[in-house]
Amino acid sequence: MRSSRLSRIVLLLSLLLLVVPRSNGIVTAGHEDMPPHGIVCTENPTATFTLTTQEGTISLPDGNRVYMWGFSEGGDPFQHPGPTLCVTEGDTVTIVLNNTLSHDVSIIFPGQEGVLADGVPSEPVFDVGGNLTSFAPVAAANGGAVTYSFVAAKPGTYLYESGTEPGIQVNMGLFGALVVRPAAHPNWAYNEIVASGAVTYTTEFAPDEEFVLIFSEIDPVLHMAVEQGLPYDMNNFTPRYWNINGRSFPDTIAPNGAEWLPEQPYGSLIHINPYDVDTHPYPALIRILSVGSESFPHHPHGNHSRIIARDGSVLIDTDQSDLSYERFTVNLGPGQTVDEMFAWTDVENWHPIDNPIPVVIPQLQNLTFGTFYSGSPYLGQTDLLPVGHQALNSCGEYYHIAHNHALQQITAWGVVLSGHITFTRIDPPLPNNCQ
Amino acid sequence: MSKEYLTREISRRQLLKLGVGLVGVTAVSAVVPKALLKPYKVVEASPDVQPARQTAGAGTYRHYAATDGWVYLPGQNLPYHPDNLAPDGLTTYIFGFRNVTSIEDDHDKVFQQKMKAQLTSPMFWLDEWRDTASQGETDFTLRLTNLGLQMRPDLIDAHTLHFHGFRNAIPIFDGEPHSSVGVPISRDLTYFYRARDPGTYMFHCHFEETEHVHMGMVGGVFVRPKQNYLGFGGDPTSAARLGGNTAPGAPMGYAYNDGDGSTAYDREFAFVVSEVWTLAHWCDSHVQLPEWSDYNPDIYMMNGRAYPDTIAPNGGAIDSATGDLIPPAGRPELQYQPISSLVTCNSGDRVLLRFINLGYVEQSFRLTGIKMRVVGHDATLLRGRGPAGNDQNYFTDTVHVGAGQSVDAIFVAPEVDTMTRLLLFSRNFSHLSNPGIAGHGGPMTEVHIYPTSQPLGPQNEPNEWGL
Ligand SMILES: [Cu+2]
Ligand SMILES: [Cu+2]
Repeated sequence: MRSSRLSRIVLLLSLLLLVVPRSNGIVTAGHEDMPPHGIVCTENPTATFTLTTQEGTISLPDGNRVYMWGFSEGGDPFQHPGPTLCVTEGDTVTIVLNNTLSHDVSIIFPGQEGVLADGVPSEPVFDVGGNLTSFAPVAAANGGAVTYSFVAAKPGTYLYESGTEPGIQVNMGLFGALVVRPAAHPNWAYNEIVASGAVTYTTEFAPDEEFVLIFSEIDPVLHMAVEQGLPYDMNNFTPRYWNINGRSFPDTIAPNGAEWLPEQPYGSLIHINPYDVDTHPYPALIRILSVGSESFPHHPHGNHSRIIARDGSVLIDTDQSDLSYERFTVNLGPGQTVDEMFAWTDVENWHPIDNPIPVVIPQLQNLTFGTFYSGSPYLGQTDLLPVGHQALNSCGEYYHIAHNHALQQITAWGVVLSGHITFTRIDPPLPNNCQ
Repeated sequence: MSKEYLTREISRRQLLKLGVGLVGVTAVSAVVPKALLKPYKVVEASPDVQPARQTAGAGTYRHYAATDGWVYLPGQNLPYHPDNLAPDGLTTYIFGFRNVTSIEDDHDKVFQQKMKAQLTSPMFWLDEWRDTASQGETDFTLRLTNLGLQMRPDLIDAHTLHFHGFRNAIPIFDGEPHSSVGVPISRDLTYFYRARDPGTYMFHCHFEETEHVHMGMVGGVFVRPKQNYLGFGGDPTSAARLGGNTAPGAPMGYAYNDGDGSTAYDREFAFVVSEVWTLAHWCDSHVQLPEWSDYNPDIYMMNGRAYPDTIAPNGGAIDSATGDLIPPAGRPELQYQPISSLVTCNSGDRVLLRFINLGYVEQSFRLTGIKMRVVGHDATLLRGRGPAGNDQNYFTDTVHVGAGQSVDAIFVAPEVDTMTRLLLFSRNFSHLSNPGIAGHGGPMTEVHIYPTSQPLGPQNEPNEWGL
C-alpha cells in the first residue's frame, strides 16, 4: 500500500515540477489562468457573481469517486469546492443563486450583516405549521433562483455555505470561501495596526504568498443516499474522507487546475520563500476555514503560525494592543475561520563549508529517503541519493508537512498518509534556479 | 456509475475485515507461541531509593532506541483487551522509545532492549541557547537507534523522532520521513537541536504516523529558558536553581523568559495525554490493519497509565546488568510505564503543570478546589508582541488542550495542616472509567499537598515526588 501511495506522489510531483512559475496569484476563475499555487480568486469589478448549483463527482486517493453537489460561477462545469469569491471592503456584493438540483438550496453568509434576499432581509424560513424549513430564503428546486446581496463591511476570511438541509448539503459540497480585502491596503489582511511601545505591526503579507485552506470531511454513505434519493439519518454521520480544498493528500499538493483533477481545481501547497529583512520581509497569509463537524487540529511543521484573526475579526484590542498569538497547532472549530501569518527563517544559516551541521549524516545505505528530500541537509543544496530513488526536489528546496494532528483523519478509508495533509515548500533565497 | 463503484468498495472492505482477518489471527497465534516471549523481570526498586530515572546521560546528549513491547492497562474488552498474545501480567502491545544512554557502550545490551519499549516515552529537556560561548552546554544531540519490532518481523518499518513545535526547523532534524530521512532497522541517526525558544513541546515518531503515534511512540520535551541562568530585569540574583542559583528562596525554574518572574515555579510535573483503542493495538499484534476512520479509543491515559495506576510510584531506573527497566516499587506490571502523574507539593509551592496532548481527541483537565493560571500555550508565553506586550495569561479551573497542543499552567498550593488531596482529571467524564470494570479510571490523578512542617525533597527531574 505504501509503495502505491508513493508512486502516486511521484506522478503528482513530476507533473508539479513541470508547471510554469508562479504569477502574481490573483486571476479570475478559469483553469488555464490559474497560478500553480496559492489563492485562486474569482472576482469582478461589480462584485456580482452567479452561483449555479451543479452535480458531479470527485476523485479520492483510494480510487473511489464520490457523488457531490457544488456551486459553480456562471455556466462553469461542476467544481468542488465552490469558487473563492474575492471582494473589496465596502463593495455591495450580489450573488445570484441558480438552482439546478432537485432539492431547494439557499446560501448563508456567516459573518456578514444586513444580508438581503431578493431585496428583503434574509431571514430563516418557516412553513405554515411554524416548522423551520431553511436558514435563508431558497432558490427552489429544479430551476429556481434567488439573489442575495450585502455590503462587505469588514475585511476578513469568511465562509459561504448552504443554509438548507445544511447537514446534508454542506457535506455534499455546497460551500466556498469569501475573502474581503481592505480597500486601502490590498496586501494587508486587515486595516488595523498594533501599537506596542515604539513598535508597530501590520497584517501586510507577501502578495504572492496568499493561501486558502478549506478543511472538510465526507461520509460516502451520505453521498450514496443522496444520489439514490434515499433518506439519511445524520445520527449515523461517519466521515471516511478528510479533504483540504476538496482534495485528499497527495492530491492536495498538486497544482491549481491540475488537469487530472478537473472537478477539484484548488491545490493546497504552501509555497514560500524564507524570511529576509531586505528581500522578503513579509510573511505568508494562510486563510483557514472549516466546514467540518468537529475540531480539526492543524499542525504545520517548520514553524509556529501567528493567528491574527478569527472568524473575520482581527485580534486587536480596543486600545490597539495585540491579541494575536502564536500556535504550533491551530484547533479549528466547526464553521470557524482563522487567518494566520506564516514565515520560516534560516536561523542557523547552516552551510556545507562555512557552517556545517554538527552531526554526521549516515551513508546512503543506512537511511530511508523521502520523496521530497534533496539529498542534502542544506537549503539550496542537492546531493547524492540512492540509485533508483525518485527525487522530487528541484533546487535543494525544503519541504515540511502540515497536517491534522487528529491522526485518524490523515487517512482515506483504508489508505494511510492521506486526508488532511499538505506540505509547505520553502525555496532557497532569491535569486535561485528553482522550478 | 459512482454509486455502483461505491457499493463494491464497501463490500470489499467488509470482506477484508471479516474474512482475511480471521485467517490472520489464526496464523499469528500459531507462529508466535507465548513461550517465545521473554518474561519480564521481577527485580524491583527498593522503596526507599529514589531511582535516577532519566538522568542517565543527562545534559546535552541522549541515546534513544525505538522498538515494540508490552504494557499493562486495566479493564477488559474481549477479544481485544487483554491481548491473548501478551506475556503474563501484561495486556497491550505497543511501539515506543527507550532511553539507552547509560548502556550504549554495550551494543548487545542495547539490542537486548528490543521488545522492551516504554509507554509513554522518556521525556527529555534542554536549555535554551544563551550565547555562542555557552552553546557547548546548550547544544543538544539525540541519537536514535531502530531496534526493529520483535512481534512483527514482517514489518520493516523505519522510525524517526519529530520534535513537534521546534521553530524554524530544517527537515533533516524534523523527523518527517517524506521531507528528509528515516532510520531503518539496526541503523541510527543523530538529531541536533539548538533551541532558541523556551516552552513545552512534544516528540513522536513520524513514520506511518497514524499507526506509530497511536501505538505509543510519544513523549514530552521542554526547552528551559535562559532566564533560569540570567535572571530577569538585569538582576542575576533572580536566576533560578536550575540555572545554578543556590540562594534560599530561588525558584526551581521559570517556564518562559517572562521578564518579571511571573512564570516562576518550585515543582514541575508533565502529563503526556494519549489514548489506546484496544482494537487497533490488538490488530497490530495480530497482523491486522484497523480502519482508522472507525477510531474509537476505550482507554484514556496520563503518562501511559490509567487511574489509579497514574498515582503509582515512578520507575525507570536501569538495571545495569541487563539494561532493562526496574519496575516501580511494588508494581512489577508497570515496569514499562515508569512515569508517575502524582503531583506532590508543599503549601506555598508554585507548581508548574505541563499538559501535552498526543492523543487524537481534545481534552479538558480540571483541577478541583483551586484555580490554575495558564501562562503558556504551544511553547509560547501568553503575551502580546513587542516592548509593550500585554499580559494574556488567565485563571481557570479547566484547561482545554487540543490534539497536538500543549498548555502550561501554574497553581499555588494552599495552606494545609495535614496532607490534603485534590483531584486533577479529564472533565470528559466518559473517559474517566476503565473498560468493562466499575469504578473510576482513565486520565485522572491526585495532587497531594503537604504542610510546610513536612518539607518534600527537591526535584532532580520533573514528576519526582520528593517523598
Ligand atoms: Cu515509528
Ligand atoms: Cu506532531
